[in-house]
Amino acid sequence: MDFVLQQLFTGLSIGSILLLVALGLWIVYGTMGVINLAHGEFVMLGAYTAWVLQSVFQVGLFASLVVIFFVVAFLGWIMERGVIRYLYRRPLDTILATWGLGVITQQVVRLLAGGELRYVEMPSLLAHSTTILGVELSVYRIFIFVVVAGLLALTWYLMQRTAIGMKLRAVLQDREVASCFGINADRIYALTFAYGAGLAGLAGALVSPLKSVSPEMGTTYVVDAFMVVVLGGVETLMGTVLSAFLLGELTGFIAYLQNDTVAKALVLVAIIVLIRFRPQGLFASQVRA
Amino acid sequence: MSASTTHNPGHRRTWLQIAIYGAVCLTIFLVPTILDNDFLLNKYSRYLVFGILAIALSLSWGYCGILNLGQAASFGLGCYCMAMALKLRTVPVHTGDDGLPDFMVWNNVTELPWFWVPFHSLPFALFAGIAVPTVLAALVGWFMFRARITGVYVAIITLASLVVVNLLIIDQQRYTGGFNGITDLAQLELFGLTFDAYSRNSYYLVASVLAACLFAALAITKSKTGLILQAIRDHEDRVRYFGYDVAHYKIFAFSASAAIAGIAGMLYTIVMEFASPTFLDVPLSLSVVIWCAVGGRQSLLGAALGAIVVTGTQGALSDSGIFLQSWTLLMGMIFVASVLFLPKGLAGLAELAGERLRRLGRDTPPPVKTDVLGPVREGEGLA
Amino acid sequence: MTGYLALDEVSVSFDGFRAVDGLSFSVEEGELRCLIGPNGAGKSTALDMICGKVRPTAGTIFLQGRALNRLEEHEIARAGIGRKFQVPSVFRELTVRQNLDVAHSRQVGVWANIARFGHHADRDGLEKLAELVGLEDRLEVPAGHLSHGQTQWLEIAMLVAQDPRVILMDEPTAGMTVQETRKTADLFNRLKGKHTLIVVEHDMGFIKEIGDVISVMHQGRLLAEGSVGEIEQHAEVRAAYLGSGGISGA
Repeated sequence: MDFVLQQLFTGLSIGSILLLVALGLWIVYGTMGVINLAHGEFVMLGAYTAWVLQSVFQVGLFASLVVIFFVVAFLGWIMERGVIRYLYRRPLDTILATWGLGVITQQVVRLLAGGELRYVEMPSLLAHSTTILGVELSVYRIFIFVVVAGLLALTWYLMQRTAIGMKLRAVLQDREVASCFGINADRIYALTFAYGAGLAGLAGALVSPLKSVSPEMGTTYVVDAFMVVVLGGVETLMGTVLSAFLLGELTGFIAYLQNDTVAKALVLVAIIVLIRFRPQGLFASQVRA
Repeated sequence: MSASTTHNPGHRRTWLQIAIYGAVCLTIFLVPTILDNDFLLNKYSRYLVFGILAIALSLSWGYCGILNLGQAASFGLGCYCMAMALKLRTVPVHTGDDGLPDFMVWNNVTELPWFWVPFHSLPFALFAGIAVPTVLAALVGWFMFRARITGVYVAIITLASLVVVNLLIIDQQRYTGGFNGITDLAQLELFGLTFDAYSRNSYYLVASVLAACLFAALAITKSKTGLILQAIRDHEDRVRYFGYDVAHYKIFAFSASAAIAGIAGMLYTIVMEFASPTFLDVPLSLSVVIWCAVGGRQSLLGAALGAIVVTGTQGALSDSGIFLQSWTLLMGMIFVASVLFLPKGLAGLAELAGERLRRLGRDTPPPVKTDVLGPVREGEGLA
Repeated sequence: MTGYLALDEVSVSFDGFRAVDGLSFSVEEGELRCLIGPNGAGKSTALDMICGKVRPTAGTIFLQGRALNRLEEHEIARAGIGRKFQVPSVFRELTVRQNLDVAHSRQVGVWANIARFGHHADRDGLEKLAELVGLEDRLEVPAGHLSHGQTQWLEIAMLVAQDPRVILMDEPTAGMTVQETRKTADLFNRLKGKHTLIVVEHDMGFIKEIGDVISVMHQGRLLAEGSVGEIEQHAEVRAAYLGSGGISGA
């Protein structure tokens, strides 16, 4: 029983980080039709920002979080204004251009910070473990889970209950009509993109004490997060949440298996079959004509 | 009758294209006459192999709009087919003549697996190096295009398929050599010639295949089938209403591209003298996309030259870490710029420049007819 | 069901909305039938179902007694149905000549077409066709560079090149000048007899020049059928149009 719970919690922990990365990807894909393969680089940039703040300015991870969000959001804003905005409604080109941007970002970081692994310290307050339901858990992982839940609620609130969220939804439905009503669609897109980037940056900062920081670290995240979005479909936030935790549990389970290569291959085959038969995602309620 | 029957600019363009393609191939053939360095020739052969791989992607992506991010799977399967045949021609250290390949012995395999047996025959291996990638591509293509999967989803499915093939090859270490791949290969002997990786023979072999693939692909694009592929790239749904089965055409383009990639893979094993899972990994697959985008995906020659130049420069700079890093950075920038503003790549630029030159050489611009509709003459039959 | 092309109680609904609701009508071989109706009457949807773009949820479509609605689009096209779309749909990156060549689809198979290069015998026919629609000087121009009117003409020429037994025309004169419209009418009168045509139009002047029998659709159903004179006097038709701004303003 303990073992099952342990597995379940591991999956939840993986899923919550996956969700934080996927959230930004989902917003940008679901709202602008841009598949941002450079999204993983925002994760990496967030982790590097955490490392710079800690090693150069001696600021702890807690105090850094807000700064990191805005730094990475700003970098995302630059990327949107500089490149992405030429790519709306050209999904195939976005894959290529954003992947190229990812390569560029990685190279810049490699040239500036060096290719070696970097480490970020865990806040000492959270660097111990506790026991819940007879299972020993890292407090830091619980902290991540809580932060993600908070950000999820915030995102939902921003989309559904604020003026800017309403404008975003208006632009999504019909950009032309929304513009006629005086909504600045360009600005909405840029802000949305920046917000998604900021979330990914936070994800990077949060995982940085758990994993080493390197220029390539974003790649695995973007692939997994992309799977989350494909699985969840672009229609609802709930779909993304469900698929993040589903994939999180699955990843946790696979890591436990003896032969994880075959298991990984099977998961990919399952995703291929899913795309073939349900390109709108597993949790989408309706099929658009 | 209008003047264009006797003076069709489309045909003139085709002949010009054939001339340019021929000139480039000739130049490639002449390289060994001025370069007497087997080490460099081997390096250049490698770049030419990548050129063939780029031609393959140009055919499916540039001409039919199928962004195949799993091109390296076809390439890698070609590599392994050739490597299996050449491995069986070496004399194993541990088991002697007709014995098991060394890595199988290390993995406690006692008998040659059934799918290795036919590779004792070289003709079979050559056939398999083309047939295996082609059949696999036809199956994946049938799976996708029958369901009218397009665009981004094609990119994801092909990429995921590549990763699956890669994982399986790494996992089946007993039969594939796993991470280490298949090493210590014999040299290919064909028609009484020996193809040592570091020799002119191999260079000429690669150059000839490159030329053959280039002209074969050009013939496809110039045929009516090629025209319909381009129509599909432009407006897939419209093509159906003229009675063409779009899925058939796409499966054809996808498989033909895989066949060329398989051929390139076999050559790569010959010039590298081993096969490894890195020959069918994601980074290589994505590099092919860069070569095509930079060189010009809608030009077979542009794509090939893009591959040769990009990998050539990379090779030349590989001694210096900082230069190589900056080059990668520069490549990324050119790539993004070409996706954004130059969908036809450098080949598109060259074409534009040629057009300008030709216009400068002409004194008067061609007359532009302003009457939009023209006369509908009575009594003229409809085609 | 009799007639060359016949629709038998055909219906389709999108998310519960019945765009076409039990539509039945038939067209004789060589006839030119005009299909009119107020906006949203389901005219384009009716054409969509005939050419396979939309699958009917109920009912059957027959061409010479053969049911079409289980076939895929390309099979329906091979059975002899060609379609011109309301928004002119041509291959914008291809030249005018290439567009006509694609449309000329005697051979549809991959392998049949792989050995066919630019020199085949039908070329003269395609050039004559370009001349017919005034595009003979634009043969090497990408279709994306044509004006709106020229694009309309190109698509019409492509349908002639395709040479299907049934031609479906969705608003062929939209965006054309009066002279251009008259030339289109001339062309249609010549196509009539050799081909069976169904033309969706709003321009009553154009319809008077080409149409023998007019079918009027309203709210997804067939409202009336008859000659131009009969339709203009038809009380229900007038009522249907007045509901959306009168017969000329529709």
